Amino acid sequence: MIVPLTHVLLLAGIIFIMGLACVVAWRSNLIMMLIGIEIMLNAAMLAFVGGGAHWGLVDGQIFSLIIMALTSAEVSLALSMVVYLHRRRKTVNANDFSELKG
Amino acid sequence: MKLYLSLIILLPLLGGVINALVGRLFPRRVSECLACGVIWGAFIASLFAYHDYNGAIRVDLINWLAAFDFQAPVSLYLDPLSLVMIVMITFVCAVIHTYSVAYMTEEEDYVRYFALLNLFVFAMLVLVLAENLPLLYLGWEGVGFCSYALIGFWYREEKNATAGRKAFIVTRVGDTAFGIAIVWMYQLFNSVSITTLNQMGSTVSVGTITCIGILLLIGAMGKSAQMPLMVWLPDAMAGPTPVSALIHAATMVTAGVYLLARMFPLISPSSTALAAIALTGGATAFYAATCALAQRDLKRTLAYSTISQIGFMMLGVGAGAITAATFHLLVHAFFKALLFLAAGCVIAATHHEQDIFKMGGLKKRLPITFWSFLAGGACLAGLPLTGGFFSKDSILMAVWLKGGTLYCGLYLLGVLTALLTSIYTFRMIYLVFGGDDTDKLHCSSAHSCKVSSVMELALIPLALLGLFGGLINIPSYLGVGWLGALFAPLTGGTELETSHSLELGMQTIAGVIALAGLAIAHYRYGGNRRQERLTAAAGPETGVVSFFLYGWRFDDLYRLLFIRPYEALSSFLWQQIDEGVIDDSLDRVAAFFGRSGELLGSWTNGRVSIYIISFAAGAAMLLAYLAWLS
Amino acid sequence: MEQIFFYIFAAVVLIATLLAITERHAVHAIIFLATSFFGLAGIFYLLGAPLVAVFEVIIYAGAIMVLFLFVIMMLDMGDPDKVRAPSLCEWLPALIIGIVLLGAVAALVVTHIPETLSQWSYTDARHFSRVMFQRYGIAVEVVSMQLLFALVGALYLGRRK
Repeated sequence: MIVPLTHVLLLAGIIFIMGLACVVAWRSNLIMMLIGIEIMLNAAMLAFVGGGAHWGLVDGQIFSLIIMALTSAEVSLALSMVVYLHRRRKTVNANDFSELKG
Repeated sequence: MKLYLSLIILLPLLGGVINALVGRLFPRRVSECLACGVIWGAFIASLFAYHDYNGAIRVDLINWLAAFDFQAPVSLYLDPLSLVMIVMITFVCAVIHTYSVAYMTEEEDYVRYFALLNLFVFAMLVLVLAENLPLLYLGWEGVGFCSYALIGFWYREEKNATAGRKAFIVTRVGDTAFGIAIVWMYQLFNSVSITTLNQMGSTVSVGTITCIGILLLIGAMGKSAQMPLMVWLPDAMAGPTPVSALIHAATMVTAGVYLLARMFPLISPSSTALAAIALTGGATAFYAATCALAQRDLKRTLAYSTISQIGFMMLGVGAGAITAATFHLLVHAFFKALLFLAAGCVIAATHHEQDIFKMGGLKKRLPITFWSFLAGGACLAGLPLTGGFFSKDSILMAVWLKGGTLYCGLYLLGVLTALLTSIYTFRMIYLVFGGDDTDKLHCSSAHSCKVSSVMELALIPLALLGLFGGLINIPSYLGVGWLGALFAPLTGGTELETSHSLELGMQTIAGVIALAGLAIAHYRYGGNRRQERLTAAAGPETGVVSFFLYGWRFDDLYRLLFIRPYEALSSFLWQQIDEGVIDDSLDRVAAFFGRSGELLGSWTNGRVSIYIISFAAGAAMLLAYLAWLS
Repeated sequence: MEQIFFYIFAAVVLIATLLAITERHAVHAIIFLATSFFGLAGIFYLLGAPLVAVFEVIIYAGAIMVLFLFVIMMLDMGDPDKVRAPSLCEWLPALIIGIVLLGAVAALVVTHIPETLSQWSYTDARHFSRVMFQRYGIAVEVVSMQLLFALVGALYLGRRK
């Protein structure tokens, strides 16, 4: 491998944390929260690919492909839900939807 | 001798217990005869004991308390002091029991009354005959309890129950000091037997003896109603009159004097303790005499008079003259019981009117009562040749012969008190019996102002004993006193030798004082002036009269010093601590749990952002923990 | 030589992601994100996964980001005046969690250094697809069914009454 696995994992960690920060901070906008989720998933893919490259196996890449497929399914559903919610309440502030209280 | 002593103790106990348990089942006459009969039986037994007496004797009955070194069997001790006491106690109690039968004819609850009265006599005899201090304390507490129960006999009126409680609580202060003294004496001398203790007087330092003496004095103060624990006796007149006669004139209040006389060999090495006793007695005598001058209630006057006379007895003990003090104790028992019983006749005749300013003209209606009351009053005032004259004078002479500034000052105080005694006694007599038959009492055939003859006849033997009581201990210029000879083996029993002329001189002074008091009272209350006094007394009291009437305001002082802070403290402890802290703490814990639960519950507010943050924080903590582990 | 490329691509990814998450305008954020995906694809290629890199560009940056853009523009969320950027107080929990996590991850990764293995190999498409369809055939089927579910769900949620 061209760089030690440690560096790849560190990079993946930083990207993941940035995605998490985006989800936690952008409470006022559902779209931005979804973007944060995308970032986190990408970080996971990077970790898998890095692991696969370190041990010379192809399974890491396969799994990152599967993650990609899953992500697309999830994003389509999430975005259609956002559209639905926006149609109902005219807002995409996550804090406005608190019917599951208690 | 053992038989007689056992009978003396057990007969009243038997009467009391039977009356208490099954008295209600008997007809009224049977239980009354049982109650009186046991006391007369005890009197006869005491006469037999006197007849058989030839020196101090100790009689062991049964084992009571025994643990390690501590021995307190039920053992009785008969020496001259206890011998004369039991004869006097049984006789006076027997007369009063007979009197009560007539006095309480209208009372429904007679069973309780007679049971308590018998138990009281039992406790008093145990107190007098006890050979060790725990047994004496048993009798001490027994008379205290019976006194409380009898003062509050008509407990359905709150005033009577309060008076009983007051008596109990005030005497308790004295009892505590006495208890401390008993324990201390056991710790010092390893024995609680009185005969043993009385021989140990010289083995410890004078300071220790002084402290023990002061503690015993406080115990005697409580029981004998001396300053500062005398506030209970005037209020104790709320009980029936025979109770006042028995307990608060003749027997229980003399228990304190008896205790000090009994322990006299132990405390006599300490002149400070004796001086304290004498000072207490003298001050109390003076205080009570001034208060008796202003009283309106007949029984309260007699109560203050009792306090004053017991002060004299304490003065005698403090001067080291046990014979004189006991002489006065015996004669006082006779004439004070007489005065109370006669007052009971008056009260029964006037249908429970006790204000002397509302009485009058009873001389013609109740002749026997009048002459008996006059005899008793003459003894109390110390008119020459009555029993009271000789006894009071022997005390005053012993005080004078003791010498020193304190005792001479107390002698003068005693003489002044004797003058005041004479004044208030004849004031009482003039106001109650004097005047014409102005029909103020509304006597008619519907409620006649007569009393039962049993009650009046019971007065006569006491009157004779009071008048001729001087024969018990005739002064030395006339011959050998019987009581003095009897008491010779006791410490403090020997009388000091004086010249006959000094004795005669002092007796003349005492006699003149008593007659002067009579003259002053006659000048103020006799004849026509009586009517003026009555009209003058119709208004409210002011100034000095009010000060004396309310007992120098000691009740108010104690209320300010003790009762109000105590009530404030107990109210604080009740409301703030008991309810606030102890009760409410549980509520507060529950409320705290409720609030914290609510706080935790507000976490699930349905907002996704909060959930995401919680999730991320949890994951972060988990990861940090794993990182820290490795 | 490839190491320098790796670090350059890593820097691009980091900066683009950072700009993306702090951007107020949603469309700008999407564009920054696409940039970061391109960088990530380069990293994938350098790590010997060309197929994954290509799929990343096609599917992720091509389809998913475009979908995001469609939705944003349909909901008219692009207007910066209507959207409120989070204040510093709202960034605070994110920062704290981020720092804690970063510390933990760094501690873990730095202390457990795996042994360096044999040389790097470049995976071609033939090898990749053989492994995927032979060993992970079931996973492929399940994922395709999941795509079906997503399709049906999206259709249902997005229908007009």
